[in-house]
Amino acid sequence: MQMIPLHLAAEGMVLAREVCRSDSTSNVPICGKNVMITSELIRRFDLMGIKSLYVKGRPIVQEGQPSLETMLKDLDCRFNIVRNDHLTMKVHEIYTAYLKRSMGDDCGN
Amino acid sequence: MEIRHNDLKQVIMDTKTLPTLPGVIIRLNALSEDEKSTIHEMANIVTSDQVLSARILRLANSPSYGFNRVSTISNAMILLGVNVVKSLALSSTFLEIMEKNSLGLWEHSLGVAAAANLIARKLAMPECEEIATAALLHDIGRIVIGLKCSKESEQIIQLAKEKQIYLSEAERQVLGADHAEIGGWLAKSWFLPEKLSDPISFHHDVTLSMNHRIKVSVVQVADVLVKASGFGDSGDNHVPRIQQEAWDALGMTELLLAEIIEELEEKLIDVKNFSIEMQT
Repeated sequence: MQMIPLHLAAEGMVLAREVCRSDSTSNVPICGKNVMITSELIRRFDLMGIKSLYVKGRPIVQEGQPSLETMLKDLDCRFNIVRNDHLTMKVHEIYTAYLKRSMGDDCGN
Repeated sequence: MEIRHNDLKQVIMDTKTLPTLPGVIIRLNALSEDEKSTIHEMANIVTSDQVLSARILRLANSPSYGFNRVSTISNAMILLGVNVVKSLALSSTFLEIMEKNSLGLWEHSLGVAAAANLIARKLAMPECEEIATAALLHDIGRIVIGLKCSKESEQIIQLAKEKQIYLSEAERQVLGADHAEIGGWLAKSWFLPEKLSDPISFHHDVTLSMNHRIKVSVVQVADVLVKASGFGDSGDNHVPRIQQEAWDALGMTELLLAEIIEELEEKLIDVKNFSIEMQT
C-alpha cells in the first residue's frame, strides 16, 4: 500500500483504502476500497478537494524510498541476533513475504 | 563503572526530577474507587485540566486505541467506561513525557500499543485498551535512564553498538539493571496495578509474570513485530526473541501472525500520520 498525492494517481491503480471527504468531520466514505481508478474518478476527487489516496502496491517510485533489496537487507540486519532462534525467525519469514508482495514481487506469493 | 544496584535505585527514585503523575489522575483514581462518586464528578475532575482532556480525546481517537468520534470527556466516560479513561489519562501523561525526550521512542511505543491492541482484538481478549496502555508504557524505563543517567546512557549505546548486543544487555552491564526493571520501579512508585506494571517489568521474560502472563506475552509479541517492521526507534535496532512461553500462552499460529502483520503494517501508516499530527 502506498499513499500518493492525487496528481500522481493514474488509471488502472487500485484503491487500498476507502476515500473520505477531506472537509467532513464524520469520515463518510465517498469511494470504497478495491475500486480501480479511472480518469473520471480522479476528476471527481479533485472537485471534492481530495489531496491524497492510498493505492495498492507501490506504483510510484518516490525519491528517497528504499528499494526492495535495501528493505530486505535492513530486515536481515534487524534479525541479526536471533538468526538461530527458530520461533522468532518465523516473523522474519512472514515479513520477507509481506515486503516482496507489497513491492509487487511475485516471488513473495 | 557499574553503579551498585541499590545505589542506582536510590539515584533513580529519590530525586525531584522523577516523572510524576498529574494530580488530576491521582484524584480520578481516588474518586473511581469511591462507590458514592458519579461519572459526572469524575468527568468534571478530568475536564478541569483542559490540556489533559484534549490529549485524552486525541489519543482515544488515535490508531493506537481506535475509538471513533469520542468528542467529550463525559461522552468517553459513558461510552468507554471509567477504567478506559483512566488508562487514556495515564497514556497521555506518558506520551507527554516521552514527546519531549525522544521522538523515536514515542513512535515505537505508539506502534507497540497499536500492535498490542490488534493482537488482543484478534485473540478476542477482554480489556484490550488496558493492554494497549501497558504496551504504550512498556519502555518507560528507557526514559528514566535517559533522564537520570545521561552519562551512562551514552556508554550503554556505545557498548551495545560495539559488542552487537541488545541495549538491555548493555544496560545490565553498565547499570546493573535494565530498562524493564527500572520501568517497574517507576510503575510501583506510581502505584500502577500489576496488570500494567507486569508488562513493563517482564516484557523481555514473560516467565517472570505469575498473574498476567497473557497480557505480558501480547506486549512481548507486539514489541517484536514493531521492531521487525523497523517502525520508530526504541534505541535498540535488534529484534528481540519471542519466547516459546509467550507464543504458547497466546495460542499463536503462523497463519494468525501473518494476518496480524498484514493488518499491522496498514495501521502503522495511521500511527505515523497521528504522530506527525500530534507534533504540529
